[in-house]
Amino acid sequence: MVTNARPTRADHYRALAGSLPPRALVVTSLGNASYLWASLHHAPENFYFEDAMGLTLPLALGLAIAQPDRPVIAVEGDGALLMHMGALVTIGAMNPSNLTILLIQNGVHAASGGQTLTNATLDLAQLARASGIKHAENLNAPSALAAGIAAAEKRDGVGVLVLATEPDVEVVRPSISLDPVATKHRFMAAIEAPRYIPTMFGGGMLEQP
Amino acid sequence: MTTSAETLETHRPSAVLNALKRLGFGTVVSVPDSWLGEILIRIDQEPGMTLVRATHEEEALAIACGSRLGGVRTALLVQNAGVLSMGAGMVSLAQRYQFPLLMLVSYRGTPDDAVFYHVPKGRATEPVFRGIGLAHACTDRYRPIGPQVEHAATYAEEASCPFALLMGREDIQW
Repeated sequence: MVTNARPTRADHYRALAGSLPPRALVVTSLGNASYLWASLHHAPENFYFEDAMGLTLPLALGLAIAQPDRPVIAVEGDGALLMHMGALVTIGAMNPSNLTILLIQNGVHAASGGQTLTNATLDLAQLARASGIKHAENLNAPSALAAGIAAAEKRDGVGVLVLATEPDVEVVRPSISLDPVATKHRFMAAIEAPRYIPTMFGGGMLEQP
Repeated sequence: MTTSAETLETHRPSAVLNALKRLGFGTVVSVPDSWLGEILIRIDQEPGMTLVRATHEEEALAIACGSRLGGVRTALLVQNAGVLSMGAGMVSLAQRYQFPLLMLVSYRGTPDDAVFYHVPKGRATEPVFRGIGLAHACTDRYRPIGPQVEHAATYAEEASCPFALLMGREDIQW
């Protein structure tokens, strides 16, 4: 049967789970972006946003710069992207090759109930290219996601994959607690981030590698 | 009693940069203003530091959180107006996840600032900081600046939160 239905977020996530590169760090936006990923593929190397809409991409940029030897994959929605579109320009300027951005384009603010976007039909790949990100493409099928993720290994610069997606406004109940501080500590322990070593009278430093 | 390093401190912006280097800050994220422009150029030239020039202060805050999450000691250099415009990210990301961040903030709109259109921001700054629970202090122009930066950085780490050091022109403008 021929259908024009777009893939679901779950379709994309299953493809992502099956094509994650070794040692990948995954940052997911608020709402189902985090809840569903936690349900399908919870790992200590996941950083889940609880709220802070629009800040997933800049946080992922900072992480990619701090961890240049690990692939960083950020999952953001089109609505959240529009809230901080300037982040695309900063990402294009810094251009870390280890950062891959998956943009869920569903045309709505899914995390807040499905309200229509200011503009739901923008060509987000073209927008990314205009922001200085050379490797940006629109994908319609989850089957193309694996190739897009794998291409990161040989890519010079950030990659953006725009994923046409059916809106999902029904809230997924994650099977684990997404306590923010626990998420942070679990993540930092997993990547063996250096700890802060306090001193009694100031001048404490992070552990030296 | 002051140390010899403090006694020798004559150019305060140089002392700020030296403190950041000595304390192991590897990344600085900034949206500049006229006071910050030159020190950012110096930071950009430091081989051991990465400067990220963001387009908006709330975005800068999130970049800094990501950098600290990745294990790099990170500072934000922004104007006080920028802190006013990053309120949501401050409470729902940086404070909620308890990211220790040093914020060096040019304090515009005080009586010492000759550009008087900054006054509305100056008036609002400390009440807003208190309102959102942002730990902060103003620099003391009569004391060496390096140790003040160090104490602010230590506070951020010990309390696991952002700490804003409000800085005068003589502290930060190269």
